[in-house]
Amino acid sequence: MGKRILIIDDEETIQTVVQFGIRMATGWEVLTAGSGEQGIQTAQTEKPDVILLDVMMPEMDGIATFKALQSHTETEQIPVILLTAKAQTADKCQFNDLGVSGVITKPFNSLNLPEQISRILHW
Amino acid sequence: MPKRSSRQLAKSGEQKSIQAELLQQQQRVELFSEVTLKIRQSLQFREILRTTVTEVQRILQADRVLIYHVLPDGTGKVISESVLPDHPKLIDLEFPEEVFPKDYQQLYAQGRVRAIADVYDPAAGLAPCLIEFVEQFDIKAKLIVPIVQTLNVHPLATVQPANRLWGLLIVHQCGDIRNWVEFELELMQQLGDQISIALSQAQLLEHLEEVVEARTAELKEVNRNLQQEINVRKQAEAALRQSEEQLRLITNALPVLIAYVDDQQRYRFNNQAYEDWLGQSPSEIDGTHLKQVWGAECYQRMQMQIETALSGQAVTYENDVVLKDGSVRSVDATYIPHVDESKTVKGFFSLTSDISDRKAIERMKDEFISVISHELRTPLTSLHSALKILATGRLGTLSNEGQQMLGIADDSTERLVRLVNNVLDLQRIESGKVVMDLQACNAANLMIQAAEAMQAMAQQHEVTLVTQTEEIIIWADADYILQTLTNLLSNAIKFSFAGGTVWLTVAYLNKPQPQNSKLKTQNSKFKTPSSKLKTQNFSFREGVRWQSQSTGLTKSKPQNSSCSEIIFRVRDEGQGIPTDQLERIFERFQQVDSSDSRKKGGTGLGLAICRKIIEQHNGKIWVESAPGRGSTFVFTLPAFNKANLK
Repeated sequence: MGKRILIIDDEETIQTVVQFGIRMATGWEVLTAGSGEQGIQTAQTEKPDVILLDVMMPEMDGIATFKALQSHTETEQIPVILLTAKAQTADKCQFNDLGVSGVITKPFNSLNLPEQISRILHW
Repeated sequence: MPKRSSRQLAKSGEQKSIQAELLQQQQRVELFSEVTLKIRQSLQFREILRTTVTEVQRILQADRVLIYHVLPDGTGKVISESVLPDHPKLIDLEFPEEVFPKDYQQLYAQGRVRAIADVYDPAAGLAPCLIEFVEQFDIKAKLIVPIVQTLNVHPLATVQPANRLWGLLIVHQCGDIRNWVEFELELMQQLGDQISIALSQAQLLEHLEEVVEARTAELKEVNRNLQQEINVRKQAEAALRQSEEQLRLITNALPVLIAYVDDQQRYRFNNQAYEDWLGQSPSEIDGTHLKQVWGAECYQRMQMQIETALSGQAVTYENDVVLKDGSVRSVDATYIPHVDESKTVKGFFSLTSDISDRKAIERMKDEFISVISHELRTPLTSLHSALKILATGRLGTLSNEGQQMLGIADDSTERLVRLVNNVLDLQRIESGKVVMDLQACNAANLMIQAAEAMQAMAQQHEVTLVTQTEEIIIWADADYILQTLTNLLSNAIKFSFAGGTVWLTVAYLNKPQPQNSKLKTQNSKFKTPSSKLKTQNFSFREGVRWQSQSTGLTKSKPQNSSCSEIIFRVRDEGQGIPTDQLERIFERFQQVDSSDSRKKGGTGLGLAICRKIIEQHNGKIWVESAPGRGSTFVFTLPAFNKANLK
């Protein structure tokens, strides 16, 4: 069954390669958002199966966005996977403590994303 | 009555003569007293002798009175004389030995007194040669008394005194014979004794003078030595003062805290910088306890290092201190123990420099590297993913050259990713932000995982990978050890020739095996590059963590620590490493042949990261190699011990 993925990242190139890669690898539907606020709106309306959330974003960063998502009943059940440039175990631990479903470290190959997501969410 | 009167007359005459005699005797006694008094008044021996002869000659109305001094060789001479003008002088005349034979001398030494009324009278018993001798001076009568010297009158002498004939007091009557009366003999004898006493006293005096002179000389010598010593000390003091002034001048000019602290942890020397930093002048600080100068909170962070220095070990650490204006500065402090000849620690020298600027720059550098690395990751992700998507061919097929170009872009991107990862890894480990997550892990599992990860690369390079595992439990961060092993294996494969073999082995370090003992000597031949860096570059906080970590490990070591360390080896049959490069290759961007290395896709940071990881585990890493003989990269790790879990 096809999944619906929401990618929230201020970098358009990331949105594009993630979209291309996932579609090419599995044919899942990929929704994109360029900021936290936009992402929350899309999540509330579209209710994706998973949100890929960039940590380092201007204005509302990934952590704040995640907390906002958690505070809304419509979105609190949606699993969130953080996309981060911070590769350290300590950072990963910190993110896991927030209650995110998983962390994917940049740089990644977007073709491998469906496989990584499936492993994290036990699909 | 005539009988009676004659008797009476006789009696009265007798009485008269007795009276006259008594008077004469009294006069003589008075004279005698006068002489002895004169003798005693003088302490000058020569003077005594002269007085004696003059007075005796006057009292006895003699023609000549002389003092004859017996010399040790038996001869003698007249040393003092009083003679009437019409008689020849005998003074300074030397008497031959025959005129005064040895047996005579002995008799006189025993105290004999001779009174000769007439030298020609045979009863006098004078030897003919002596008669002949006295004849030439017209001597008719003689009176001779000995002057006996009491020897050993030295005040410090302990031996019983002995008598020796020193000389003779002689009275001559010339022209006519003279019957010497008892009184005259007595007088002469007593005078002889007086002279003897005077002689002794003179000797004593002479001795005393000698002693005084010697003592004076001694005192002068002592005084001179003292003066000399005082001068030397004054000079030394001046030199010391001068060198202390110089030291103060130099240390005051330095922007570093310089101090000497005694074994009671009290300051004994401080330079001007203390006043500049803390607002306390060197004279205020002098004698003050460290805790008082720095405050209890800061002192707490210094205490351990102070104790280390006072145990005789030099120590360097970093600390944060508060200055007089309230600003917090990072400092680097070095304590050098002052050990005296008897190996007692008297105190320590303390050097403290402000490294706040350096720390700030380091922080900036770390932040810069961190930000750059993170910022690079996002475009790299896009690049990487875009290239991978292109490579699928689903967006259109490329020509062969196009595929080749894509391959180059893809490889370079991957290398760029590795480089960014490595730079970040190294920076994080170096800055001390990384804490190794030490756990018990099986060496065999780690080795198999590493070998599996590198199998594809080995096949690609046509290299055989041989892994000899052992079930040894180590105390380490599995992720980082895996990173180290794959890094070393990747290097070994890259630098092997096609058809070569790479071995990965593990063993206990000190197990008594002949193979190992051979390796041990090999180890000592090669320097362990990490050992000297071990104490450097760790901050105070980090140092504390290290300390606790290492003490934990030390405690866990069994008494015979033969199995407490594990040694890993990665051996290849490649071109080897020149001896002068063995240490350098563990430094950043140091490759044996950088062009060759770049061709092989290295970043120049792999070994630097490996070294940091192993050091964080309290292990050592080094390489044993020679050109043409292949290389063996070796590292040690602590073995697991149940005490680690506590």
